[in-house]
Amino acid sequence: MRVEYINPFVESAYNVLSEVLQTEVNRGELYLKSAAMPMLGVAMIVGLAGDVEGRVLFDMKLETGLAVASAMLTSMDMEPVEELNDMARATLTELANMITGQAVTKLHNLGFRFDLTPPAIFSGQNMEVSDPNFEALIVPMELPQGKIEINVAVRERT
Amino acid sequence: MANIDTQVLNSQELDEQDGEERRQSLVDFKMVTFSLGGKDYGIDIMRVKEIAKFAQFTYVPNTAPFVRGVYNLRGDIISVIDLRLMFNLPAEQREEGHPENGLILRLETNMIGVVVDQIDKVVGIASSQVQPPHPIFGDINVKYISGVAEHEGRLYIILDVDRIFSRESDEEESIAQRSFDAARRPRVQEAASPSPTDEPRSSGTDERAIQRDFVTQGLATFAGFHVTPVNVDWFDRRMDEWRAERQASGKDVQLIDEDDARAFLGTFHSRYAGRFWQADYVTELLSLLPEPAGNVIQVWNPGCGEGYGSYSIAAALLKRYPDRQVKVWAGDKDLMKISTAPNLVFSRSDVPEEWQDLLVDGKNGPTFNAAVKDAILFEFSDVLNSAGMPKMDVIVARDLLSLHGEAEQRKVIETFEETLKPGGALVLGDNERVFDGAAWEEITGDSLTVYRRR
Repeated sequence: MRVEYINPFVESAYNVLSEVLQTEVNRGELYLKSAAMPMLGVAMIVGLAGDVEGRVLFDMKLETGLAVASAMLTSMDMEPVEELNDMARATLTELANMITGQAVTKLHNLGFRFDLTPPAIFSGQNMEVSDPNFEALIVPMELPQGKIEINVAVRERT
Repeated sequence: MANIDTQVLNSQELDEQDGEERRQSLVDFKMVTFSLGGKDYGIDIMRVKEIAKFAQFTYVPNTAPFVRGVYNLRGDIISVIDLRLMFNLPAEQREEGHPENGLILRLETNMIGVVVDQIDKVVGIASSQVQPPHPIFGDINVKYISGVAEHEGRLYIILDVDRIFSRESDEEESIAQRSFDAARRPRVQEAASPSPTDEPRSSGTDERAIQRDFVTQGLATFAGFHVTPVNVDWFDRRMDEWRAERQASGKDVQLIDEDDARAFLGTFHSRYAGRFWQADYVTELLSLLPEPAGNVIQVWNPGCGEGYGSYSIAAALLKRYPDRQVKVWAGDKDLMKISTAPNLVFSRSDVPEEWQDLLVDGKNGPTFNAAVKDAILFEFSDVLNSAGMPKMDVIVARDLLSLHGEAEQRKVIETFEETLKPGGALVLGDNERVFDGAAWEEITGDSLTVYRRR
């Protein structure tokens, strides 16, 4: 992945998470991966197009997802969620949108043209994700609610 | 199991020796030797995975005193045992943050790290030379000793690691108790008196093979450098030089730490590694590269580090083919290095005369102009993950393969073969070569070889 893309994603993930959750966020060590990897339980995906092709995947355990969604909802004086209902899904996809949106804005300011697709959310047990022709950058984020793994796979159009 | 190597002896020596000694010259047991409390010990080399320096343990509460903690060995968590504490021997207290010498042992079911005073070397002996332990042996419980062997005037106590670490629980308790008692006694001592150091004397074929093994292991451990057919020609030449250098300065041939490994690899690095390439290299390289066919010259530069080579190749090609488009895909898996590459800081004098007109002044000093910069795309990427690359005219991968094991090297070379256009060229490090020539045509210049895909 192009070096210039790394920071916008890492920064916006850090900014958005610490802002909306009003909590301490710790970034883990970045690393690269290409083989199929197991998913934790709930995953939001945002597609990227434009100068590049690829996608951003936000992966977390169901409990983490619910705790994060509840924290976001209560901060807006709304009821927390106990299960992955429509409200929880909408909240989590919004989080994915905010992080990717902010990253893309930063990239625009650096002169890269990216477009987003609307986010989708997956949930279930024993899922795996693999895109054999991509190398993914993994940005692990540690929150009090649990771990969110941000999996960014983009490459230049050739 | 250990290979049975026969020591080559000339006939005169043979005549002088009786049958007994001839049997002893069969080396079929190799052990890694080290010192504990000033005495020499050995562990079967087949049980030793690697030699290590332990820098930061994580202390585990409520364990026996000889358990130093757990250690992260490149992602694997292993327990670390201090053999000196375990055997109730004097242990020299290390300063905070000072790494401990140790070995990683491969047991039947798991790996374990042990801390020792000092790693010595690999010693090859005949198993017939090993004598059973005498029951009055002091420091260490006799049942943990598989034997005693003499080599070049030194006595080595051979430890039976399987017995030590896979014992019944009652034994464990007693030894733990013993060590616990010992731990309550003051433990810090002056540095143990150094054991007598007599230099290894002869250098027969066996000795050389053992040294070679040990240096190969040392390079992998301390520098991540793998000796394989890619670089074995260089390695063999270097080994001879190294032996001579070390013997001249009275040091052991074996590599003891990262500095030794670095010194050994001093002559490996290709010309102008970590610098901009100078005219002699550029001219020769360009003369060996094929005339590119299309309007766009595609170059892949995996393992580019800070990007000196990537800038050099882009500048060289743009100068040589001003009317074509040049695209250099540069990647490295070292995040720190690759992050500095797009905004590399250097001074004008680092750049060869011919490229001075490609420089402009930026806010951090000189930088290459937009034409050169736009030609290069720096990526955070591991060459092992590469897929979906466009077809390349040239691949420049200097000193990269040697940092991978043989299986990975084969995979990477295969990827290179798939990614190159027919007739495209592969540039390896000055001291590296491809495995087998079938797919490649060697184009050799005065000081440089380029591999053309057939």
